[in-house]
Amino acid sequence: MVRRIRPEQVRELTLLFILVAAVAFFATQIPGYVSGRTFTDISTGLEVIAVVAVGQTLVVLTRNIDLSVGSVVGLVAYFVGTLLANEPGLAPAVPVAIAIALGSALGAINGTIVAYGRVPAVVTTLGTLAIYRVALVELSGAKTVTTDSLPAWLLDLPRSSLVSLGDLDIRSLVVVAVAVVIAFQLLLYYAPYGRRLFAIGSNPDAARVAGLPLQRDVFVAFVLSGALAGLGGFLFLVRFGNITVVAGQGLELQVVAAVVVGGVNIFGGSGSMVGALLGAALINLLQQSLLRWPAANPFVQDAILGLLILLAVASDKVVLERLRTTWVRARRRDDERATASAAKQVTPGA
Amino acid sequence: MRIQHGAALSLLAISALVIAACGGPAAAPSATVSATASATQAASPSAAGVAKATPGQSVKMMLLPKFLGILPFTQANKGATEAEAELKNGTTHAFVGPTADNSVQGQIEFMTNASTQGYKVVMISNNAGDQIAPAAQAAQAAGVKIVAWDSPIPSAKGESLFVAQVDFNETGKVMADMAINLMGAGGGKFAILSASPDAANQNAWIKALNDALKDPKYAKLQLVDTVYGNDQSEKSYTQAQALVAKYPDLKVIMAPTTVGIAAAAKAMQDGKLCDKVKVSGLGLPSEMVSYTLNGCAPQFALWSFVDLGYLTYYASYLLATGAIKGADGEQFEAGRMGTFKITKDPTRSDGLRVLMGPFKLYDKNNVEAEAK
Repeated sequence: MVRRIRPEQVRELTLLFILVAAVAFFATQIPGYVSGRTFTDISTGLEVIAVVAVGQTLVVLTRNIDLSVGSVVGLVAYFVGTLLANEPGLAPAVPVAIAIALGSALGAINGTIVAYGRVPAVVTTLGTLAIYRVALVELSGAKTVTTDSLPAWLLDLPRSSLVSLGDLDIRSLVVVAVAVVIAFQLLLYYAPYGRRLFAIGSNPDAARVAGLPLQRDVFVAFVLSGALAGLGGFLFLVRFGNITVVAGQGLELQVVAAVVVGGVNIFGGSGSMVGALLGAALINLLQQSLLRWPAANPFVQDAILGLLILLAVASDKVVLERLRTTWVRARRRDDERATASAAKQVTPGA
Repeated sequence: MRIQHGAALSLLAISALVIAACGGPAAAPSATVSATASATQAASPSAAGVAKATPGQSVKMMLLPKFLGILPFTQANKGATEAEAELKNGTTHAFVGPTADNSVQGQIEFMTNASTQGYKVVMISNNAGDQIAPAAQAAQAAGVKIVAWDSPIPSAKGESLFVAQVDFNETGKVMADMAINLMGAGGGKFAILSASPDAANQNAWIKALNDALKDPKYAKLQLVDTVYGNDQSEKSYTQAQALVAKYPDLKVIMAPTTVGIAAAAKAMQDGKLCDKVKVSGLGLPSEMVSYTLNGCAPQFALWSFVDLGYLTYYASYLLATGAIKGADGEQFEAGRMGTFKITKDPTRSDGLRVLMGPFKLYDKNNVEAEAK
């Protein structure tokens, strides 16, 4: 029974439980908390961070990290915003494609340096974090992208809903973000590339000996992270409209926090997209609910988030690692028993 | 390629800390400055003793904003460029500045190098507090004039003159007036969305608003909360959403920050709340025009950053060419803007001030023209 559930799923169920518990708690504290509007506010707050967290998960699975995503989001949001201000007639698909392409290119720079240049990812992406931000400052020439200059379809996009029941909206962009999460969850669990990421993160040396294209796979993970940050940049532009040179600053830390709280092991090799989404949801829920809770002062709010991250890492190290070991052992015993009984069945016939 | 465990852990600890400090690295957008009790603007063009500029002299000048990349400072540069053309300065001024995340150190660096690069004037919107004073004093000793605009050097050490945009008491009254305009005579609840909790200018403005509210004519205005969005779109946006959730009968969000007001207006628009909650405060016409026209932010105020840059350039040029000395009581003419008087700065223990003013109110009748 226990063996059927993977350690990651334990983590996801725990997160789900904490989410429900948090909602129940705030419902008793904040008048009118359980409402359609709260759901709409919190779900729309997830759009950018969930998409970027998916890319981050791919990279973290391979024992790397991409700290440049905040700058990529800002740079892409600004670039696409300027483009749309100059060419308001572009079909909606064009700016989305350009956002993803520009993000991929920036991700490819990271990937080349890390995978082929063998420079540690922390160093590389800290460097590009600064470089991409300066590129944005230079590109912007001290101008702001303003909502006024953007086409109407883009400004209406955040308000478009797939389902709308009173105040409760399931906004289209939230659906897009969730679709990205599901698509990459499937990629991770069923595509050979996804499985290789786990192998590389669990044991890079064994992966190399087994002949996996380690460098190429890591490179692709960075390109995908960049592409998703590019898409995140487009969503950022849609959500905020006014884009200055500080757009997306500090986002990388929220994303890393979401990924880690979501149970993606920062040392590589385990985690899931659904976990990352739940991590992002929990952080966003706490952030927004604490703002609504009159009893919490702003400094406590930030401390609670910090604590949550440390707890997540500690629990991963202590509890989940033990669970994983037990699980692997149990699986091995099962396999041995199965082999043994198979052998028994074979013997009499022989 | 692999992260060492130790490094990864410490990175996490850092990220935890930074999240905890979330909102720290915010960009102060527009504005600034110290409060003023007694506005003493000399609008009287008494011909005697009014210094006039002699065009055509060559003065190497540097316009140094808090950081590059946001609209108010670009507009100030536009005004400075306009003044430069009028004064026929043979040397084009430099518009330089640090990046937003390196503002303090960057400004100090520019200030330190100004004299060796041959600048005669540094026009600075100071974001470095008194930390910049030693560098400014050294520059002054080397013959460089330091003219602050938008945001002064608090101790006035190393500063020749401060060109202030508005009077702070007026800021409080202007915001209270806008709130009552939007709510109607019946009044109601409103909340402030500020920048960061330790921004001196923001706190001075909030205090001025609180003082103004004591006036019986604002008796029906009820200020229920003050929250901080750290001048980040993201944080300001969620703060505005939270205000509406916390106070279901909230009528106005007052944001005395250009980033906050735009983010709050966007949040109300995205939340389909514009009929219920109006946004107001200090904003830039070009960033607010769509919200003013669609009724999310029907009225807001600001001073002209173009004029601020223009006036600062005139004062600096006059100072550098010796037409004025930078002394209390001196008067000078600043092109199209008329005559101004240098006075002691009532908001600081030391320092000289030129007060520009006044506020400009924007609504659907004038916002489009200003947004261009």
